Parts: sequence; structure tokens; C-alpha cells
Amino acid sequence: MDAQTAGHGQVFETEVLIIGGGATGTGVMRDLALRGIHCLLIDRRDLNAGASGGNHGLLHSGGRYAAADADTAAECRREGDILKAVAPECIDACGGLFVAVEGDDPEFAARFPEHCRAAGIECKAITPAEARALEPCLSEKVVAAYTVPDATVDPFRITLENVNHARELTQSIFLSHTELERFVVAGGSIRSAICRDSRSGETISIHARQVVNAAGAWAMRVARLAGCSGVKLLYSKGTLIISNARIGARVINRLRAPGDGDILVPGGTVSLLGTTSQTVDNLDDIHPTVAEVDRLVAEGIAMVPEIAHTRFIRAFSGVRPLLLAAGAAADGRKASRGFSLFDHESEGLANFATVAGGKLTTFRLMAEKTGDLVARRLGNKQPCKTETTPLPSGDAIRWTEPGFAPRYWAARREPGGLILCECEMVPTSAIDAIVDNAPGAQSQMSLNAIAVRSRVGKGSCQGAFCSLRVSSHLYDRQVYDSPEGLRNTRDFVAQRFKGVAPVAWGEHLPQLELAEALHCSLLGLDHLADDRVVDDSAQQAPAGVQKP
Amino acid sequence: MSTASQTPTRIIDFKTAARELLPPGASYDACLSCGLCSAGCPASGLEGMDPRRFIRMAMLGMNEELSTTAWVWTCTQCQRCKYVCPMSIDVSVLVGLARGAWPTEKKPRGIVRSCEAQMRSPGTSAMGLQEEDFVETVEEEVASVRAQGERFARLEAPIDKQGAHFFVNQNSREPGTEPEEMAPLWKIFDYVGADWTYSSKGWAAENFCMFTGDDEAWRKMVEQRVAAVKRLGCKVWLNTECGHSFYTLWKGVERFGLEADFEAGSLVSYYARWIREGRLPVNADWNTQGIKFTVQDPCQLVRKSLGDTMADDLRFVARRLVGDANFVDMAPCRSANYCCGGGGGFLQAGMKELRWAYGKRKFDQIMTTQADYVLTPCHNCHSQIEDLGQHFHGGYRVVHFWTLICLSLGILGENERKYLGPDLARLGL
Amino acid sequence: MIKQSRCHQAELLVIGSGLAGMAASLFALARGISVAQVGNSGVIAFTTGYLDLFGHDGRSFVDDPWQALLRLREDEPLHPLANIAADDIRAAFTGFTHALGEMGLGYSAPGARNLLALTPAGTLKPTLSLPLTMQPMIAAMAGKLDTLVVDFIGLNGFSARELAANLAPRWPGLHAQRIGFPDMDSGAEVYAEVMARALEVPATRQSLAERIRPLLGSAQALGLPAILGVHRPDHVHRELQSLLGVPVFEIPTMPPAVPGVRLRELFETQLPQRGVALEPQHRVKRLELGSHKITARLEDAYGEVTIEAATAILATGRFTSGGLHAEPNAIRETLANLPVVQPKGRAAWYRADYFDPRGHAINRAGITVDEQWRPLDAAGKPAHPRLFAAGSLLAHQDWMRQRCGAGVAIATAYKAVECAAQTMRYTSSAPPHFERT
Repeated sequence: MDAQTAGHGQVFETEVLIIGGGATGTGVMRDLALRGIHCLLIDRRDLNAGASGGNHGLLHSGGRYAAADADTAAECRREGDILKAVAPECIDACGGLFVAVEGDDPEFAARFPEHCRAAGIECKAITPAEARALEPCLSEKVVAAYTVPDATVDPFRITLENVNHARELTQSIFLSHTELERFVVAGGSIRSAICRDSRSGETISIHARQVVNAAGAWAMRVARLAGCSGVKLLYSKGTLIISNARIGARVINRLRAPGDGDILVPGGTVSLLGTTSQTVDNLDDIHPTVAEVDRLVAEGIAMVPEIAHTRFIRAFSGVRPLLLAAGAAADGRKASRGFSLFDHESEGLANFATVAGGKLTTFRLMAEKTGDLVARRLGNKQPCKTETTPLPSGDAIRWTEPGFAPRYWAARREPGGLILCECEMVPTSAIDAIVDNAPGAQSQMSLNAIAVRSRVGKGSCQGAFCSLRVSSHLYDRQVYDSPEGLRNTRDFVAQRFKGVAPVAWGEHLPQLELAEALHCSLLGLDHLADDRVVDDSAQQAPAGVQKP
Repeated sequence: MSTASQTPTRIIDFKTAARELLPPGASYDACLSCGLCSAGCPASGLEGMDPRRFIRMAMLGMNEELSTTAWVWTCTQCQRCKYVCPMSIDVSVLVGLARGAWPTEKKPRGIVRSCEAQMRSPGTSAMGLQEEDFVETVEEEVASVRAQGERFARLEAPIDKQGAHFFVNQNSREPGTEPEEMAPLWKIFDYVGADWTYSSKGWAAENFCMFTGDDEAWRKMVEQRVAAVKRLGCKVWLNTECGHSFYTLWKGVERFGLEADFEAGSLVSYYARWIREGRLPVNADWNTQGIKFTVQDPCQLVRKSLGDTMADDLRFVARRLVGDANFVDMAPCRSANYCCGGGGGFLQAGMKELRWAYGKRKFDQIMTTQADYVLTPCHNCHSQIEDLGQHFHGGYRVVHFWTLICLSLGILGENERKYLGPDLARLGL
Repeated sequence: MIKQSRCHQAELLVIGSGLAGMAASLFALARGISVAQVGNSGVIAFTTGYLDLFGHDGRSFVDDPWQALLRLREDEPLHPLANIAADDIRAAFTGFTHALGEMGLGYSAPGARNLLALTPAGTLKPTLSLPLTMQPMIAAMAGKLDTLVVDFIGLNGFSARELAANLAPRWPGLHAQRIGFPDMDSGAEVYAEVMARALEVPATRQSLAERIRPLLGSAQALGLPAILGVHRPDHVHRELQSLLGVPVFEIPTMPPAVPGVRLRELFETQLPQRGVALEPQHRVKRLELGSHKITARLEDAYGEVTIEAATAILATGRFTSGGLHAEPNAIRETLANLPVVQPKGRAAWYRADYFDPRGHAINRAGITVDEQWRPLDAAGKPAHPRLFAAGSLLAHQDWMRQRCGAGVAIATAYKAVECAAQTMRYTSSAPPHFERT
């Protein structure tokens, strides 16, 4: 895309424009494609740029909601079972434990099994000794324990598979870095959406018969652009930290009223400790803080003492978009985790729908309801098929699964396949497949985009080394042929840094020190000739960035 | 090779094992993925593996792969990875653990057989030489040496001499295949008037049991040998020119918490001491042809044991023997030396192609020195470096220190020159 | 088991074997002081090989480091380099590069200006002195010579195309080719260090030259990743140049890289030959600051080693090399428990933007010293009359952003040795005799 192009830019026609490249948006895309409908999905950044890329990957058994929200709990259980059946490769059915430690509310613990029963969640009491036999990392101070059928899901793979399947079925398209600027509304319908490619500056006009707002935390903004004010969201920021290696085999939940640091979730080859919950007003400038990280560690130690000595490699934050019912309290933990589908007919639009709230576990159901509405409006009589149709995988979209690349390497071991990311053992063939064919692959694909579609930069070194190897490889392949490649490298490591700095102590700090020595002292990425072309973060360009 | 019941491979949790076995701050969690270990390891690339990859696979939970990869038999546990690592992470510890997890019938047969032979013989000999064989061979050879001339008419090679100062071990290779090669060391002891003895029980030096990864077997070997030293009441256990025999004993004593109230000494240190004290008046006058020598630092003796102190002693002796001008070091050397690939049981593992690939770096090092001879106080280095020379057409020869010491002193027998080339074979005769 | 006890005695104990530690040993040897040294590989293993005196003042890259250092006295009076006379810095730098040359690793003579040197990404970096094996790049770039850069199948992270693409505006005559290295061209991963060792063998040089020659065309210079030998790089460099008939220059690579291994192996081989009692690749476990002597205890595989010295220089580096350790909210110095000047709490360690031109406050944390380069205790007094400090461990400098790592290491080592010598009032010029026992 040529930054110099002025004038009309690109024009797209589609049946359904979907805004928001997370689990919900991509879920809607696939749902509709299975009914034969062509879609265009856009996101101002890339896939899973919001909550779908900033969560702990838990496929809820529902246990966490059993006490407070029985309907949500039951919904989670049902949807979890469906996903385990249609997308098993995205899911690790590792099981879970709920454990209470000395000092936790015994009432809460005692009532847990009946809440689970009411929601239809399989829950079995075990002794603390049995719990520690299952998970030796558990504290000696565990006083009560229950098993539940928790599982974890790879949200990146789900999203990629959704988009890929839609692409296969109806040649549906995903456009990254496409930011909605305004709608053209006439006669009670949205006629087109005027967007801007934030990499090239080019205008993109999209003509669609139906528009779906699945923009997650940004759904309120998008709705307002359509003149709709009925969507009210509470923004709840949550922070998680990732350990260098996996701790424990199962999800470990704290058996108490939800609070900070009460869940430790395996993520394949690592573990995620979370979460915090803090209401925020502003979706810009969301990043993990040292205080949040320290709180997580302090709470986590109560369940799993070795957390005091664990090397954490990254912190990240996501924003939960919670539906605010009129007059509801501003406590993020108590706001509804359920979702709503707005048809906006009362607000004067016939072809606009917003699906908001909800959680990762129930994305399919959210997409089903949305799909039913949109299909009906299009006069399409096809029923939803996502409950029973398996999600197919593919060459370019299987690389986000933690541990897949290493197993692939161990099984094939082709001499021509060099490893570019040593920490996660990602080979050149993976990078090539992604650059050539992954959903959203574009010319001069950025390292950030490659990272979303793989495990590059997600291991111990957090991109310190692999950024350089991947970018050199892309230069070799002439995917990069100018200083733009170095700017991509710079932007990638700058992104990685935001998550590393809050956990930089102990054994992890040398990793960051070495990274800075490489990136600044060796390569001079801190003083590249041009300013950033694209600001991949939600933040504004920081003040003080100077041109030499 | 197949046995009636196939033992399943034991799968180790490497991540947990690393935390338990390695010191904090120097365990797999501290790894920065910088790759210095891989760049400096001669086993990198074999089986597509390298030390960095081993660490990463452990952290990624690839326990089945690590418990079954043949790479663990190509890593000689030389600890060079630990040496070059900014965090001092020792990858070899878990390699040893992995070896031990293999079912016996799947381990390289040669190493297993050697260990079994050791376990069966009270002498602890990997060649299965029994006490009587050893005693008889020694006695015959002593007789042979005495017959060489007046000088050695009263030479002794005591066995089971109670209260001797030095307890000397013996690598099975000499009594088993080339008994005349035992004589040079006896002549040196005779020369300096050392009060020494062999032992009929626990006499052998080599310890393949450590190489099998079987800690129990390793322990048993060390216990027998320590008992032998104790039984004879010797003050110093003097280790022959063999690398791993030194390491496996002192390390075994430490690891298994054994009581061993004697000093662990290396022949090399004592050569150096005797030379400094004037008791072994070697010099380089014999080297009129200016024959060039380099020295191989055995990993087991230098990097893994006494460090550069030993490397200094090695060079002191070597330079005295061959002349400063005729000595050239390999690069790198001393504690930074490359393993030649003879250790860890590699020579007995039957993996020739891999062993040669491993040793190519050592071959290049030697060729760059342009040395005619490689001096080494280690049997496995000796065998491997010789074999590399033959395979890659090096043209150099490999000798033990005792051969050159006797040559220098003018006491090397005619039949004790097996490893000398035509340039030196007749010297002094 | 009765083990051999190992003990060294020396007048000066150098703790740390990075650039500062090595410089300290060389300067001490030059003064006839007996030295014992211990240290682990740390960050020197990752160096480009360039010796940076001062490369960026926070506003722009620096062309004249000597001028910039004068301004530094005003701008950053606490900076270690702001507290050393220019003549001393010059003498230190010149002495160090000269010593390296004598030991077989030739460096360009430090001059009045920085040189613009290449990075593997095709960016440029100002440095004061670079290895002779890299020096021809300066003239080739300045003259915009028709230059071939060769990279290798399997060498991750070094792309000749990347270099050419990023240097194109400045150096249009730079073009890229890829070849396989002799006997290492199956497509499997190759390491710069392994190629470098192979090039010590004449036959390998011949084979490599044969592969490169047909690609040279009209090229007037050849660039290669840094693989020209480890042990005798100047020799390998000369030989290859003579085989190819054009100037050849090396370009540093990303880790694991050769220049750091060269320096480390050079020190490990040469310093003991010059009389330093060196315990390579070990860390001091305990440091005892006694009234009459300073004792360091370390443990190797075999047991305890003791070093006793009259004076000591602490040059243990920062976090990667273990001189500093970061608890979740406080930084401590790991060996002598010295107070560390530091931002309060982890939230203040790093700024929000990785590439903030002001740098990160944690990088300026470190120990403080008096005018005699002695680290201060909590009361602001020297922790010990004969304990000195040098190198990146010192506070108030940001070696990575200011590109002053070698400058700080070498100049502070020079001063620390000078001060240590003064406390010993050493007068004799003959090196004293000492023994390993």
C-alpha cells in the first residue's frame, strides 16, 4: 500500500461488515460464512487486539461464577462442552482445582459444591492431601479442595481458525489496521463505512448490507459513530503475568469470593497468574503496573508458594467490556458477565447490530445469536451450524499453540528448517507459511503481526533475539527491502518491552538488560533515522521522541 | 540384543530435575537463550540438538523427547557449556540423568558391557580381567623389565603392599592388550624412589558405570576402590594417566558421601612436583630434531577437576620434556579446551560417524598447531585423538607422558615405543 | 577426601573478568604489580569488538568524544568519565589497545574522532577503536566502494540483504550474496564461532576463497560476518585478503558472536602467561575485607580456592554478570553488600517507552566511589581503605545508551589501579615473585 496515494483509496463490497477482530467478531464471521454469507472483518489493529488477546485463556467450567451468577455458570459449562467437541485442537482439557487456604471464608468453600450442582458443573470434593498429590506445587496450608472440569483455550488459534474457515467458505476477508472513521447513514440504514488504513493512511470505503459491531471494549464508541447511545459498557482492566515455565498441570482457582491473584492457568508451556480488576474510564494507555504485578504475586503465593521464586517473563493487561445495566454498581467484579445483542431498531437503524459484553468462553453463543439476527435481516434461512461443525485447522494457523512448534520440530527435524525463535522453537517454515498465507497477511508484514499468529517473542527472551533473526530472514526473503523492516523490529521489541518491564527483577532482569544492550548499543534501534510509521500500541506516540 | 521383556523408558520431568539438581541462579530458569553454549559445544548439530535446545526442551516440558534422544550419548558431559555460560548453567547434569533413564537394553551396548564387566570383577576391570590375570601379567612384565639390564634388576611393581604411600590404579588397556606399556611408569617410580603399590582388589582405573548413568553402579565401583585404598592404608590415591578415573572417584566420593581419608592425587601433579624437586631430571636435550608437541587438556582432569592449576602443571612438565621452542598450544586450551569426543563412553558407544563429526573440531585444532605429537595424560583422549588422526588423515601421533619422561631420561625400553613414530623409535637405543 | 588446597597470593586481586577487570590486570602488570584475578564471562561474551569511548550524549550521536567528554563535566558531573582527566582517559585507551595488539589482537589507534562503524542491521555506530579485522569497512564506506557482502546458509540473524537494504542510500555500491561455508552448507544451523575456528585451518581458507572469488566481480572490498578466526584473527584476515586480492572486513554479528569469545580467550591464555594468577570462569563466593589483607574465596568443581591480596578492585559488572541483583523492589550489590544508588521502587526503574531517549533510571543505578575510586559504605565513607571499584558497576552512567561501555571500563580501571598502586606505595619496577601453592 503506497502511503502517497491520495483520493479515492480502496472500495470494498460485502454482505456483512463486521467490526472487531476478536473471538466474537471472528466468530460472527464464521457463523455467517457457514450460512453462505460473505463478510468483511476489520480491526483498527489486528486480530485479538482487545480482550481476546489479553486474557488468561480459561475455558470456564463455570465454577468461578457458580456462587454469584448461576446462569452465566451454566452457559459457560454448555459452551465449554461444545467447544471441546468442535475445536479440540485449540483446547487443553487439563481440568481444574478450586482450593481454599487457611484464612479463606469456610462458608464460601462449604457452599461451593451446591452452587456447582445448581449450574450443572461436575464438582468433586477431595482432601488437601489428595490435592497436593495431584499438584505438588500447592501450599501446605490448603484446607479445602474440589476438582472441576476447567480447560484452557488458545484464543489466537480460535480466532485464526474462525477467519480461515470463513475465508475458505465464502472468500470472506479480514483487513487489519483498518480504523473506522465514520458511517454514511441514509434512510435508516448504514450505507457504508469510511475507514482508514493506519499503516498507509489510505482511505477504505466499505459498502455492506449489514453491519455488526463486535468491537469489544470499543463497542460503545462504534455504536456512537452510528448515532446509537444504548450500548453502555463498564471498562474493567485486568492484569496477568506469565511465568517462564508451566507451573502445575491444572487450572488452580482460589476458593473464595473473586479477588486479585486467585487463578493460576496453564498456557501450554507457561502459566498465567491473574487477575486484577480495576475500573478504568479510558481505553488508551492500558498497561500493567508494578503495583498490580506485586499484588498478583503476593496473592498467588498463598496458593502456590513457589511463585515467590518464579521467574515471570511478561505482564499484560486487557480490558473486560462489561455490560452496565441501568443503575448498576461500578464494581467490575459484580457487573454482569452476560452478553447482550442490540438490534438498534429503536434507535432508527435497520441494518446495524451490536453484540457486547460476554466472555471468551461464550463467544460461539454470542456469534450464534448475532448470526441469527443478521441472517434473518438478509433473508437468509440457513440455521446456525457452529454448534456441531468442527473448526478446521491449517498450515498457516497452527503456530500459536504453545508447544506445537517444538513437537513439530521433534517429529520432522528437516535439516533445511532453521529455528528462528529458539525459545519457542519456531522454524523458518512457520514464518514463511504465516507470511504467505495467514489470515491478514499483508505485504511487509510486521513482526507484531507475525507474533500474533505464532509464538515468536513469547518465550523467555521475549523477542530480544528472535526479533533480529526473524527480521533478517524477512530481509533475506525480500519481504523487507528497506529501513521499514528495522522499524518493524523496533516497534516489535518496543511492544514486548511494555510487558517485560513490570516483571523485570531477579533472573528475568538480565534478559532485559541484554536485550537493551543488543537493541541499543549494538544495533542502534533507539535512534533509527525515521520516526515510527505506525504506532501499534493503544497509546499516543510518547512525548520526547526526537528526530536526530 | 532384544530381551524377553522390554523395559519402558522412564520419562523424567527435566524442568523439575533442573530445579532440584542445579544451584539457584545457575539453573535452567536463568537461561537467557544467548546460544554461547551451543556455539561452543562440539556436540551441537548432532541429532539436530545442542545444549541450548536441551534447556529449552526441558522448560517446554518435552520430557519424552529428552528422555529418548540419542544426543545424550553424544554429549560427553565435558561441562564446556557451563564454562562459557554467563549464568554457569551445567547442561551435562541432566544429560547424565537422561542416560540413567534409558532401559539398559537400549543403552549403547559397549558401555553397558564394560560396566557389567566391572561389576563382575573384584578388580573392577571393564575388560573383565580377573585378579589372577592382573597379578600374573604384572609379575611377568616385571620379570621382563628386570631382564632389560642392570639398571632395572631390582625394579618392583608391588601388589597389595600394606602401608605403601601411594596407591596406584591401572587402566585395563595396558595389562589387557599392551602390558609392556605399564613399564615406563614403574621405571619412573623406581627412579624417584616412590613408595607405591597396586592392589589386587579394585585395581582398575576406568569407570564406565558413571557413563551408563547408573548411579548405583557408579557408587559401587567407587566404594570398592575406596575400600581397597583403605585396606592397604595408603596416604595418597595416585591416579594414573587417565582422565575420567580421576573425576569419577573424587566426584563419586563427594556425591555419595563416602568416607575417604586419603588424598586424591594425579600423576601429572606429581610429575611436576618431582621435576621441580629435582628428583626427575628430565630435559629436552633428546629433542635434537625439534619435533613439535602439543598437549591435550583432558576435560575430566582440567576443567571438571583441578582447573588451570592442573593445566599449568601439564604444561610445565611438557615444556621441560620437549623444550619451550618445540611446544605449541592448541587454541582454545586449558579449562577452555574442547573435548576431543573420547569421553563419556563415546568410544565404546559404537556411534562412529557421530564421534568423528564431534571430534572434527579437535582434529582441526591439532592440525593448526602443526604438531608432530599430541601429549596427553588420558587414555580416552589418547584413543580418540589417534582414531581422529587415522580417520581424517592427520599424520600426527599420540603419546602418554610416561613414555616421553622415560625417553628423556634415557630409560625407555625397546619394546616400550609402540606409540612413537619412526622419528623417535630408535632414539637412545 | 583430602584434596589439594589451592591458594594464590598477590598484591592486587581483580574481581571480574570483563573489560574493566581485564584492563585492570593489564594496567597492573604494566606497573609491575602482582595480580590474581577471578571472574565469569558476563557481558564481554556479547561484545561487538568495538571499543566505545563515548558515542551518544542524549541529544545526538557524538562525532568528537573528547569534546563531548568536556561537556559531560558540566552536564553530568557525577559520571565516572567526568571525573577522569582527559589525558588519563587517552593514556588508558591507548595503553589498552596497544596491549591488545601486543597480545595478538590488533586494534585501530584511538584518534581524535569517532569512527562510523557498521552493525549487522546496516545501521551505523560511532566508536573510537575497532579491531583491524574490521577496520577496512571505514574506508570502504567513506569511499562508497563497490563492495560485496557475503552471508552464509544457516547463519541465523546475519543477512547481507538486510545490510544492503539499510545502507543503500549511503552506500549504493554495497551488494549482497549468499554462499555455503565449506563443509557446513547442508542447510543446518551454523555458528559464527565454529566457522571462525575452521578458518584457522589453511585448507578451509582456501576453500572459502574459492567460493567467494567467482562472486567478487568488480568489487573493491569484501564484507563478511565476524568469522575470521578466534585465536589469530589478524593472521586469518591477512591470509584471506591475500587469497582474494581485495580488502576484507568483518562485521559484528548478534550473539553468540566471535569478538567476545576472542577477547575472553585472549585474556585467558595471555594473562596467565604474563604472570596473572587467573581463575577463569568462576565467581567469588565470599569476600573478606580484613585489616591486613583482602581474601576472596571461591569454589570450583574440586573444592575451595583462596586468594589473598593487599588490595582489590571490584569490577563485577551489572545484572547479567551478577555484580548487581534485583529483588522485586530493591537492587543490591552482590559481593561486598555495598549500598546501591537506585531509583526508589521497581516502578521507577524503567520508563514507559523502551526507546525513551532519556534512557532508563535502572541503568544508572550502581555503586558510588570517592576520588580514590573506593566504593562508599552506607555512611558515605570508603567501605575499605584498599578496596576499589571500576567498570559498569559504577553509578551515574548509562553505558548502553551513551555508548561508553569500553570508555568507562578502561578509564576507571586505569584510575583504580593507579589508586591501588598508591596505597601500596609500590616502588620497585621488577615484577615480584609469587607462587601458586
